[in-house]
Amino acid sequence: MTAIDVPGGPTARLGGRLRLRDSGTGRLFGALVVVFVGGYLASWLLPGFGVFPESWDVGFAEPIDRARRWLINNQTTHGLYTVFLNPISDAIDAAIRWIESALAWLPWYVYPVFTGVGLWWARSRMAGLLGFLGVWVIGVLELWEEGLSTLALMGVSVIISLAIGIPLGIAAWRSDRFAKLLRPTLDAMQTMPGFVYLIPFVLLFGIGRVPSVISVFIFAVPPVVRLTEVGLRNVAPSMVEASEMFGATDRQTLRLVRLPQARPAILAGVNQTIMLAMSMVVIAAFIGAGGLGQVVLRSLSSLHVGRATEAGVAIVIMAIILDRFSQGIATADPGRDARWIRPLFGGTVAAAIVGGLLNHSAFPEALNWQFAGYIDDAVGWMQIHLYDIADSGIGTGPFSDFVTLNLVSPLRELFSSAIPWPVMIGIGVVLGLAARGIRLGLGIGAALTLIGLLGTWENAMDTLAQVVVAVVVTLIIGIPLGILAAQRDRFQTALNPFLDFLQTIPSFVLLVPVIMLFHVGRIPGIIASILYALPAAVHYTDLGLRRVPHEIGEAADSFGSTRLQRLRKVDLPLAAPELMVAINQTIMLVLSMVVIAGLVGGGGLGFEAVKGLRRSDSVGSGFEAGIAIVLLAGILDRLTRAVADRLRPPPAIA
Amino acid sequence: MPGAVRTVGVSGLWKVFGRKPAEALAMAREGVARQQIQDETGCLVGVRDVTFEVNQGETFVVMGLSGSGKSTLVRCMSRLVEPTEGRVEICGADLTAADAAELRELRRHKIAMVFQHFALFPHRRVVDNVAYGLEVQGVERNERQERARELLSTVGLDGWSDHYPQQLSGGMQQRVGLARALAVDPEVLFFDEPFSALDPLIRRDMQDEFLSLQERLQRTLIFITHDFDEALKLADRIAIMRDGAFVQVGTAAEILTEPANDYVRAFTQDAPIAKVLLACALMRPLAEGAPEGSWERISTLAPLEKALPLLLASPNPLVVCDAEGEPVGLLHGEDVAEVVAGNSR
Repeated sequence: MTAIDVPGGPTARLGGRLRLRDSGTGRLFGALVVVFVGGYLASWLLPGFGVFPESWDVGFAEPIDRARRWLINNQTTHGLYTVFLNPISDAIDAAIRWIESALAWLPWYVYPVFTGVGLWWARSRMAGLLGFLGVWVIGVLELWEEGLSTLALMGVSVIISLAIGIPLGIAAWRSDRFAKLLRPTLDAMQTMPGFVYLIPFVLLFGIGRVPSVISVFIFAVPPVVRLTEVGLRNVAPSMVEASEMFGATDRQTLRLVRLPQARPAILAGVNQTIMLAMSMVVIAAFIGAGGLGQVVLRSLSSLHVGRATEAGVAIVIMAIILDRFSQGIATADPGRDARWIRPLFGGTVAAAIVGGLLNHSAFPEALNWQFAGYIDDAVGWMQIHLYDIADSGIGTGPFSDFVTLNLVSPLRELFSSAIPWPVMIGIGVVLGLAARGIRLGLGIGAALTLIGLLGTWENAMDTLAQVVVAVVVTLIIGIPLGILAAQRDRFQTALNPFLDFLQTIPSFVLLVPVIMLFHVGRIPGIIASILYALPAAVHYTDLGLRRVPHEIGEAADSFGSTRLQRLRKVDLPLAAPELMVAINQTIMLVLSMVVIAGLVGGGGLGFEAVKGLRRSDSVGSGFEAGIAIVLLAGILDRLTRAVADRLRPPPAIA
Repeated sequence: MPGAVRTVGVSGLWKVFGRKPAEALAMAREGVARQQIQDETGCLVGVRDVTFEVNQGETFVVMGLSGSGKSTLVRCMSRLVEPTEGRVEICGADLTAADAAELRELRRHKIAMVFQHFALFPHRRVVDNVAYGLEVQGVERNERQERARELLSTVGLDGWSDHYPQQLSGGMQQRVGLARALAVDPEVLFFDEPFSALDPLIRRDMQDEFLSLQERLQRTLIFITHDFDEALKLADRIAIMRDGAFVQVGTAAEILTEPANDYVRAFTQDAPIAKVLLACALMRPLAEGAPEGSWERISTLAPLEKALPLLLASPNPLVVCDAEGEPVGLLHGEDVAEVVAGNSR
C-alpha cells in the first residue's frame, strides 16, 4: 500500500496521464477490490455493518444543547460575556445602528445620483445610467428600508474586514512565519461553506446582527488578506531597489512604493471581499441579519415566490452595483482625466445635506409598484401547465421525480446503506493514499469515522449523493463550454457576461428562480448548485487551455494533428492541473449550495443545519451537521487538490 | 592624474552567495576555481577580491559579460547587496562600516543609481518619479517639484512631467531615470547597464548625451556595461571583469594596444580600433630631430581614422601636436598598420 505513496519514478514523471496509468491506477484498482470484497464479507458475517450503527453515536448534540442553555443563562453575569463578548457585541451593534441611522437620514434621491456618478466615474457613462436606474428599482419595489439595512450591515462588515484584513496581509508579507501560520487558517476558512459559520456564532451571541457581522467578516476576509500579501510580494524587486537606493526607510518604501504598486491586487481583494460579504449578508438572514435577505428567506419559507423574486432582484442589483464599482476602481487607469467628477460629487454631497435637513429620507410611496403578483400568477400557471404539462407526465415535476428516483435516491441508498460503511471509509482511505499518501488516507478515514460517530452518516451520504450528481452534471456542461470558450474567442465573449452575471448572484438568491420552475425538493437545490458552480468550471477549463503555450500547440499542428487529437493529446493533458482546480472549485461551490438548499427541502446535512439555526432546541444537532459539513468539505477539497498537485508537470531542472 | 581627488575607493571586495560564505571565501583565497567552489560548498563567488579607485570627475567603466559579477559589484558598492568582505569608501566615508541610518544618509545625498530597466515607479507621474529622492529626504513639495522640473528640462523632457512613465518611449524613460538620479545632486552615480535595453540608434544618442552631460557636470561615474564598444566610447578607464575578478584595468588605448590576456584580446578583435584609438596612444615621443615643416600635422586627440587618409597620402609620418599646437610626437604609418592589422587578425 505504501508503494502508492511514492511518487512515480523518473520515467513516469512526464505528464499526468502517463504517470497515473503507470504507477497508480493498477494498485488503486487492486486496493479498491480488496476493500470491496473485505467489506462485503464483513457486512455479511457481522451484523450492523450496513448503516453506521446508531449506538456508536457519541451524542455531541446533548452537550451542545446544554452549553447553549448555560450560555443563555449566564449571558448577563459571566465574565466571558461581561468582559469579552458583550463589549465586542455592543461596539458592533452601535456601529450598525449609527451607520443605519446615518443612511436613513440621507434623502432618498441621493442614492441613485451618487450611484450613477460613482459608476460613471469608475467605469462608464452607460454603467452610471444603469446604476442610477437600478437604485430606483429597489425603491419602487418597496424594499427601500430593507435595502438600507442590508447596506448598513455590508458597510460595517466590509469596513471591519478591510481594517483587519489589510494589516493582516501586510503582516503576512513581512513575516514568513506568520504567513505560514495564517495560510492554512485562511484555507480552512475558505473551505467551509459560509452557512456553517453561522452556527457557532449563534451559539455564542444568540441570533441578531452582531453574529451576522462576525460570520460575514470571517467568510469575507480571506481574499483581501491573501491578495494584499500577494500584491506586496509581487512588487518588482527593482522598484524596491530604486527606492532603497535613494535612502528611503522601510516605512517610506512601504508607503510610497510597495503599497501603491500592490494597489491593483489589494483592490481586487477588496472587490472579492465585498462580493463574499454580499452573499453572506444575505445568508445571514437565517440568524436574524434582517434586510433584503430576510425578505427572501421569509417569502421562500412561505412559498411567496413573487416577493422572494422582488427581493432577489433588489439583492442582485445591489451586488452588481457594488461589484462593478469596486472592480472599476481596481482597474481604473491612473492617467485618465476625471476632473469633472469633483463638482458632481460636491453637488451630490450638498444635496444630501440639504435634503437630509428637509427630511426627504423616505422613498416616495407614489412611486411604488410591485410585480410580485404577476410572478405568483406566473408560478401558479407554471405549476399547472409547466409542472406537469396537461397531465402528460412531461414537465418539470415529473422531471424532478425522474431524476430523484433514478439518480439521486439510488445513489444515496448506495452510499448510505447498500455499500457498508466500512467499505465507504476504506474507499476514502485508499483514494487519499493514492492521491497523496498515508497521512491524507488516514486523515480521510478519521474524518469519515467522525462523521459516523456524530450520528450524521446518513445525512452526510445524502448530501454526498447530491454533490456527486450536481458535480457530474456541472462538469459535463462546464468543461465542453470551457473548451469551446478557449478555442473560440467570440464564443468566450458571448458567454462571459452570462457567467459574470451568474457569479454576481449571491448563492441564496439563486434558489428563487429555480424554485419558481421546480418547486421544492432535492432537485431545485441540485440545479441551483449547478448554476452556482458552472462559471468556475467553465472559467478554469478555459484558463487552463489558454495557458498552454502557443508554440506547443503549433508543434502539435505541425505534425498534422487533427483538432481533436491536439485537444486530447496535448492541450487537455497540459491543462490537467487547471482542470483539477475546476473540479475542486466545482465541488466546493456545489457543496456550499447543496447545504443552503436544505432550506427548500434539499434534505441531508443542510436540512439539519437549517433546523439548528431556526429552532433553538435543535442547535446541538445543527452543530453536529455543521461539523459534518466541514469534514466533508475538507475531505473533498484535500482529495481533489492532491490529485491536482500530482498532475502538475515536474519542475524544470535548475 | 596630478591633483586628482579620490572619491571612490574599493579594496579587497568579496561577495559570496550561499550558506557557507566563510568556507567558500577560504577556498577562493587559495585559488580554487569558481566552479569547484560551487560544487563543493554550494556557494557562488560573485565578486572576487576587487580593488580600485576612482577620482572625482572620472568615468570608470566596468565591462563584463553576463554572470561576470559586474552587477553584483555595483550593488555591493551601494550595499544593495551586502559585501562578504572588503571595504568601500565614498567621499571619505566608509560605506561598508555604516549602520542603517548612516547608510541611508549616504544614499540620500552622496550616491545615486540609474537602472538597467529604468525601474521607474509606474504609479507616479514623471515629475514625482524625479522628485522621489527629494521626497524621501523630506524636501517640501513645491521645492522638490520645482527641482524635478528643472532636471527634466536638463535631460530634454520639458512638457512631459505630468505623464506617467509607461506613456514614454524607452529612451525617454531612461532620461527620466537619469534625471531622477541627478535630482539628489549626488557625488557618485552608478549606471547599471543603463542603455542596454534601448534600440541601437537611441542607445547611440543617449551615449552622446551622456558624454556631453558629463562634460558639464563632472561627476564621478561608475558605469556597468556588457558592450565593449560602449566601454571604449564612454570610459576614462575600463575594468574588464570575468568570473567576479578584474582581468585588466586601464584606458581604452592601453587595453586595445596591450591586452592582458587572450580573454581581453578576444574583445579587442572586433573593436572599432581606428575610431577609438587616439593619435597620442601610438605616437613616438619627439626625439631631438625636429620635424620637417612640410609634414602634415594632427592633434593628439584625433582618432586614428582621421590619421589614416593623411598617412596614406604621404610617405612621411604625421606630426602630433598638443592643444597649444606644439609638436609632441610623430605618428608613423607602420605603427598604425601594425595595430590595425593585429586588430583585424
